[in-house]
Amino acid sequence: MEDKFDCIIVGGGIAGLSAAMTLARGNARFLLIERGEFCGAKNVSGGVLWGSDLARLVPEYWKEDAGFERFVSHRRLTFMDEQSAFSVDFKSNHFAETPYTGVTVLRAVFDAWFAGKVQEAIDQSEHPDESFIATDILVEEVVMEDGRVVGIRAGEETFLADCVIIAEGVNNLLTRQVGLEKPYVASDHVAVGVKEVLKLDQNVLEDRFQLSGRSGLTNEFVGACSEGVEGGGFLYTNQDSISLGLVLGMNDLRDKQKTPYDVLNTFKEHPVVADMIRGSETVEYSAHVVSTGDIKGMPAEIFGDGVMIAGEAAHLLLNAGKAIQGMDYAMRSGILAAETALEASKADDHSSSMLSNYRKALESSYVLQDMRSFQDAVHLLHREEMFSTIPNLVCDFGRQFFTIDSEPTMKASAMMRASIKRHASYWDLVKLGLKGAKAL
Amino acid sequence: MSVENTKRLSVADRLGLANYRNQGRTDARAHIEVDTDICNTTCPHKCTTRVCPAKCYTLDESGNVHFQFEDCIECGTCLYACDQGAVTWRFPHPEEGRGVNWSLG
Repeated sequence: MEDKFDCIIVGGGIAGLSAAMTLARGNARFLLIERGEFCGAKNVSGGVLWGSDLARLVPEYWKEDAGFERFVSHRRLTFMDEQSAFSVDFKSNHFAETPYTGVTVLRAVFDAWFAGKVQEAIDQSEHPDESFIATDILVEEVVMEDGRVVGIRAGEETFLADCVIIAEGVNNLLTRQVGLEKPYVASDHVAVGVKEVLKLDQNVLEDRFQLSGRSGLTNEFVGACSEGVEGGGFLYTNQDSISLGLVLGMNDLRDKQKTPYDVLNTFKEHPVVADMIRGSETVEYSAHVVSTGDIKGMPAEIFGDGVMIAGEAAHLLLNAGKAIQGMDYAMRSGILAAETALEASKADDHSSSMLSNYRKALESSYVLQDMRSFQDAVHLLHREEMFSTIPNLVCDFGRQFFTIDSEPTMKASAMMRASIKRHASYWDLVKLGLKGAKAL
Repeated sequence: MSVENTKRLSVADRLGLANYRNQGRTDARAHIEVDTDICNTTCPHKCTTRVCPAKCYTLDESGNVHFQFEDCIECGTCLYACDQGAVTWRFPHPEEGRGVNWSLG
């Protein structure tokens, strides 16, 4: 082994593994360190990996049985009040074409598979014996010399490298240690995600959700699912299970004095959800902090002398109402950090000015472009109206519109006026509508 | 292991499904330390007793906060939620610590 690696990656999640794959393809000598027993052992997500970068890293991954759960061909957004659900639903065979634009994943399964692919890439690289994926090791400290990062310390051992990619996830202790993030980060821009994986017979699942082959459904929920707490719910179909969960704004959860596990029970008991999960058995309950996608939540900087921050350690995430994008951002940021590391090795320059190319690449990629252009939508989604007034109004209108009760029927416009009157004011809605139109 | 969804699941039901490292070990090294004196004297909200998804923070009859790390699933909620400086948060030590081992994630 060389006494110094070209790069050390901290964290074997999606950002870290994507960086590793890129480095392996670039014939770098690197060390990836994961604290879990295996890659994925510590990782939790809601469960959709959006976008098509996976096909770049693992060409034709869909030809394998392993890895992902289902590709997403059916999308649904549901507004809920306590008794009803009003959905916007879109299903298309276009989504069945490869490369898929979204796949559901279970991280302990997916990340372990992905790590196997990275190991294959290492084996095929020019330095198969000089790059490593090391698991079950906790990086306790990033080692610095004269203000620049030179390696990491795990227990008594120090490993040196030209640069370090920190891909440690949202609980970004090392990012804080190197000074790119404050020592304490308040809960203003994070949420609590809680999830159950519900096992269901595969045939029952496919019949119930009208799935064929490996197609899958994603369903997001707003309204009564969160008991009035800022946030929403999700249901994703896996091969023979359902991922059902909630993302709840941490400050709002605190202020409304709710507990995430009780809200999750309420969500499961909603008549519409209960019908979808009937007969299933809970096989895992997990939870994790998740960024809200507010760009103000990002660290002060995502690079420094000898160091780059990738994935949710940099709070890269977007939920602008269409999808929760975090894993695809992790993937792209990991790729871009690794590409910058390869460039830096070529130039033999790992200074902060060289590594600022990572920031530039991320800024010109869809990751930071979308995060910047959809900030208004992020803020709009966190307004009280979005998880109470609007879902209630929509469901109230739906109930009137779809009720046939042998009485003279009101025109839809009159029904809408009546619903608005019961739940909001025109003026508030016009303001909100204008904001929404601008934001999206 | 699984739990049928015929009733409201308790946190204990749910955590019973998790695999922890060093499950049998009674002397596992704590990865989170909480200065409950702060919780019980100056903290105005004691919010960790509600926001923690694993109920590692509990209130006793007299309203005092207690903490145990054994059930922790390393979600990070208290790392962010405690704005009083009471929580010292580290990742569990792979050999001597506790912490979770997801099968699905």
